Amino acid sequence: MTIRHLVWLRRISQTFFLCLFIFLLTESRLSQDTYINYSVAFSADNDIRLEQPVTFFFQLDPLVGLTSLLSGGRLITGFLWGAGVLLLTLFLGRVFCGFICPFGTIHHATGAVRPALKGKRMIQANQKKPEQRIKYFLLLFVLLGAIAGLNLCGLIDPIALLFRSAALSVIPALGAGLRSIFDAMANSDFNILRLASYSSEVLLAPVFGYNIETYQTAWFIGLIFIIIVFLNRIRPRFWCRVLCPLGALMGIFSMTSLLKLKKHSERCTDCNLCTKHCQGAASPHPKQVWEASECVACFNCHDVCPEKALAFSFTFKPELNRKPDIGRRALLGGMLSGLSVPFLGRLDGRQDKTADPRLIRPPGSLPEKEFLQLCQRCGLCMKACPTNALNPTLGEAGMAGFWTPRLIMAQGYCEYTCSLCGSVCPTGAIADITVKEKIERPVKIGSAYLDRGRCLPWSGNAPCIVCEEVCPASPKAIYVKHETVSRPTGEKFEVQLPFVNLKQCVGCGICENKCPVKSLPAIRTISAGESRSLENQILL
Amino acid sequence: MKFDKPVTRRESIQRILRWSGCVTLAGTVRLPSFTTSDTWAATDKRFIVEGVGQTDGFSVKELTKKVFDAAGGIQRFVSRGDVVAIKPNISWARHPRFAATTNPEVLTAVIKLCQEAGASRVRIVDNTIHDARRCFAITGAGKAAKETGADLVFPRSSLMKKMKLKGNRLNVQPVFTPLVEADKVINLPVAKHHSLSILTLGMKNWIGAVDGNRSSLHQDIHQSIVDLAQFFQPEVTLIDALRIMTKNGPSGGSTDYVTTKNTLILSDDPVAADARAAMLFGLKPEKIGFIELAQKSGLGTYNFSNLETKKVIV
Repeated sequence: MTIRHLVWLRRISQTFFLCLFIFLLTESRLSQDTYINYSVAFSADNDIRLEQPVTFFFQLDPLVGLTSLLSGGRLITGFLWGAGVLLLTLFLGRVFCGFICPFGTIHHATGAVRPALKGKRMIQANQKKPEQRIKYFLLLFVLLGAIAGLNLCGLIDPIALLFRSAALSVIPALGAGLRSIFDAMANSDFNILRLASYSSEVLLAPVFGYNIETYQTAWFIGLIFIIIVFLNRIRPRFWCRVLCPLGALMGIFSMTSLLKLKKHSERCTDCNLCTKHCQGAASPHPKQVWEASECVACFNCHDVCPEKALAFSFTFKPELNRKPDIGRRALLGGMLSGLSVPFLGRLDGRQDKTADPRLIRPPGSLPEKEFLQLCQRCGLCMKACPTNALNPTLGEAGMAGFWTPRLIMAQGYCEYTCSLCGSVCPTGAIADITVKEKIERPVKIGSAYLDRGRCLPWSGNAPCIVCEEVCPASPKAIYVKHETVSRPTGEKFEVQLPFVNLKQCVGCGICENKCPVKSLPAIRTISAGESRSLENQILL
Repeated sequence: MKFDKPVTRRESIQRILRWSGCVTLAGTVRLPSFTTSDTWAATDKRFIVEGVGQTDGFSVKELTKKVFDAAGGIQRFVSRGDVVAIKPNISWARHPRFAATTNPEVLTAVIKLCQEAGASRVRIVDNTIHDARRCFAITGAGKAAKETGADLVFPRSSLMKKMKLKGNRLNVQPVFTPLVEADKVINLPVAKHHSLSILTLGMKNWIGAVDGNRSSLHQDIHQSIVDLAQFFQPEVTLIDALRIMTKNGPSGGSTDYVTTKNTLILSDDPVAADARAAMLFGLKPEKIGFIELAQKSGLGTYNFSNLETKKVIV
């Protein structure tokens, strides 16, 4: 196999893994033709689960596994994949970055389709820079933070970041745009346009969603994603070189790599083609020392060298590569800030003093402290939620819980017979409970309370029992009493007044969602009464 | 006719009256019917058929077929090449055993009958309350569609079109278009309890055919139901009362509230079908607001002596 083949192998592998990532991303939702095979006389209690292994990339990401282990003290399912990737790095260097990482592929492709710079300026940009230490700072910040009890890994982990950006921002934005076109076409007077709208919708809805999906702070998530992609205009694979904590972890592990860049400086004509094509700013030039921990194993330098002055080859001598240039400032700064961030994060009192009433966590969530030790804020549960109730938090969980999931009942509600979010959580921050457990224990996520001044029957404005009707608990947590009330005009009439039975209420929020009093419903859900917390309770 | 003389006002009025009189007279003359010797079609009366499964382990499919046969066969309602929309009640993502949704066996049987009658397309159409994907899966409608090849229509914004209902209470409402555009519509509700309207039956099933602010309909539920029933007039209503939910409706959630009745009610009179189903709950039809109101509005009757009644036992 020549180097030419290897470069093509890399491109094929990158394309494959990017496609796999997009495929698993689009499969992270209930399909329209999900059905349960009721063959045994309607007695089977199957839970609806996603068919594809949608957490695969999170299992493959060693940083997700490592931070979960350090902070939550648990091995995530499929952690062996991540361990395998680290083992691979020990022998082959950062091949994950060059061959597998879908986020790296996006940066690589952006840079390759339209190079940011030309000629000498590109060579200058591809020299190793002190800023490349930032990624080690971020890695230490994340790891030490995890040890001290707050897992912020998902905010900057490339897989979690890419998944969150794509699932909560890019795809919903495209979906909303397409849907408005379909709706306009469906409302036109021309039959052909209507038919075209229906058929294109059938084709595209499985990818872009069956309804318009909206997520709190989605514009911000999208903005960050666009900025990170645009950083490739400054220099190629800016994210991978400067910011990626996973790359930093792999960089440290690639010290022992057996796959090394051999340099023959006597053949070098100083054409600088190698530096011009280098993706990681790893000093491939024969007159510099190769930085193994910066090299993303793209094999470009070997491929472009016209004089055969550079060659990747295996060396089995027990000899360490050049140490990663972490720098004392990044080392100390990362450690100190990592150790202090969990305590800073507690200063807003969300963990110790009072729980936010709006912080309704998905069913099966661990107690808040453990939840923050494990949640990667990847958005997989939010993407999978069939009612679009799960949203990233803004301030409801405090600074420490930024972008962790919470239910917004104005958008959706927790379906009584659904426990999909727990089944897709890559780290187990939301426990994988069955529907049977959810109903029988029961797993409460909060509780409902009535606002009698706004309620239609209580205020004598109109009869209504929608909250009682939709309540899924059995017996219902919302019950009604026949009473005579007076209308605003003074005339008496009989209505059914709703009441909440807190013992029965699981806080699913469908009453709030379906309440005819819009904007601020007359029945609302708060987090108090959630079964994961000992303190945040109402009843004895 | 003379054209040289201008027509006076009196003459023109006379002429108009003469012509309109002729047209009116012609309209009263009934052309001899060329249709079949079928006893049912010969009468103007509407019908109601009640099918009861009395043997243990009777076949739902057979009962459904016999009920339709007693009414003159499915061919009476569905012709070759028709697009048929079936409106079941699959609003809640509940297991079939809780009787909150139409029995998938009946659904399958009706779809198969339509297909045997030569329907070009059979569509299952319901704007569900819970997430539609989960409703399709859990109620068994998804499996019915898979087995028979019927289309499950996913409720989506492009299929909701604002239409004038011209009701007393409801004027403009987004309507789930496949139910309006289909050649034939079959209403296939389940009989169950409801805390405001007392029962959920055939006419109330049309709340699942509209979109918009549906939860506001409860502020005048009986009139809303009648308004909707006036707009959506199905070929025939088949009420699934194989098992009925007697309490905690309309979503239920416990088998304690489910009573087995093994009954199917088929009628082309929506009021009669609902009234007969109400009697299964031990309730008088006139006590139920929307049935009483519907009879007053002339939608149908619960006076069974005005109907052809038949009973089928399997």
